Amino acid sequence: MNIKIDTEGAFGSAIVVLEPGEKFVSEAGAMYRASPNVDIEVVSRKKEGQGFFGGIAAGLRAMMAGETYHLSSYQVGGGTGEVGLAPTHQGEVRKVEVGSETWICSGGSYLGSSGGIDLDTQYQGLVKGMFSKEGLVFVKASGQGELLVNGFGRISEVTIGNGITIDNGHLIAFTEGLEYEISKAGGGWISSMMSGEGLVMKFRGQGKILVQSHDPSRLGGVLGPLLPPRKG
Amino acid sequence: MKYDIISAPSYALVEMSLNEGESVIVEPGSMSWMDTTIKTKTEMKGGLFAGLKRKMAGESFFLNTYTAEGGSGKIGIAPGYSGDIVVKELNDETIYMERGAYLCHVGNIETSATWEGFRGIFAEGMLGLRVSGTGLLFFGSYGDVQEVDVEGSYTVDNGYAVAWESSLDYSIARSGRRIRSFLFGDQLICKYHGNGKLWIQTRSPRNLAAWVHPFRPVQRDNK
Repeated sequence: MNIKIDTEGAFGSAIVVLEPGEKFVSEAGAMYRASPNVDIEVVSRKKEGQGFFGGIAAGLRAMMAGETYHLSSYQVGGGTGEVGLAPTHQGEVRKVEVGSETWICSGGSYLGSSGGIDLDTQYQGLVKGMFSKEGLVFVKASGQGELLVNGFGRISEVTIGNGITIDNGHLIAFTEGLEYEISKAGGGWISSMMSGEGLVMKFRGQGKILVQSHDPSRLGGVLGPLLPPRKG
Repeated sequence: MKYDIISAPSYALVEMSLNEGESVIVEPGSMSWMDTTIKTKTEMKGGLFAGLKRKMAGESFFLNTYTAEGGSGKIGIAPGYSGDIVVKELNDETIYMERGAYLCHVGNIETSATWEGFRGIFAEGMLGLRVSGTGLLFFGSYGDVQEVDVEGSYTVDNGYAVAWESSLDYSIARSGRRIRSFLFGDQLICKYHGNGKLWIQTRSPRNLAAWVHPFRPVQRDNK
């Protein structure tokens, strides 16, 4: 498997080259091009042995994670094939190696992963889920392989030795072992709200974290009120 | 005529230098800036019917001709979206493109609508744009534009094809298997057949609009 990432300019994308027997999975709808020998199958997020309804339940959990509740899987019938994946927003796409480290992605940051990666949803708990902009459920990628994530704007990797504070809405993914709590940015609640920063995520422990330069919900907040109201 | 494409691929703009008497035909609204030596003329290219057909294909009824008069001059041409621009030299050739992909051209090139048949109802638009003749054609899209040499066939997600050579044809298909489509709501894809060049965009304005939708205020009934 060979993954080529286009990093030139504002619109990142990835082309995954597959050999027979290899498998790649992406968020449904992320595929924008594919060679004719690629078999595309829509699958609900499902664990082995859970059966049909287990699949639906897992799908519902994924839906709450701010993602569509099904994934597309790609395999080649014969010979080498390619599939192109791109996110909705302007911004970078990045490849992350999963193996020695397990990564946990926020709701909308997961783009795709190779067949050797196990995907699981991690419920963030009601308080964290309600107050963070990252969704109720995170996607945990363990096993061995390559994970693709997307960010709104530029993606930066930060190595954490002694904790870090990230503004709500900028998290892409972090390595397992890091703990976080939702907290106010300033000293008191009033000054926190007045500063415009509101809530932040405070991480503790050691590991790596990927952050995006821009917060998509702020773009939504600017554009939404300019559009005619939708029916409730 | 000389041109340069600047700030590609994200915010591409055609910077064109015209000698006296030379002209460029531009999609209305796409002229960003120009020297005072450049004069504008708005025309229904090809007459009323061609204009109507263009309109139906999502392009403009009128096209603007910019001509350098009384000296050479420069003009900047950019589409309404942020994205890449492709330059294609046509030599008595035809290419097809999606609604809104056409930007400008130099030379003897005609643009008109094509009937996409019933597949057009399910695909991007009812009508595509047929561009043929001899000259230099500029087109583009939202996002990055990638060129693919199709040998046999190639799959593109619905809404991501920008343009294709006339040696290619397409049909609409479903991705995945039928039973799964029924359960999970499948996507429609375009399957291109033949041998030739195909240009694909990497972002979809429709997906962006769908993403913004939940941020719209909710309408309240005053009753």
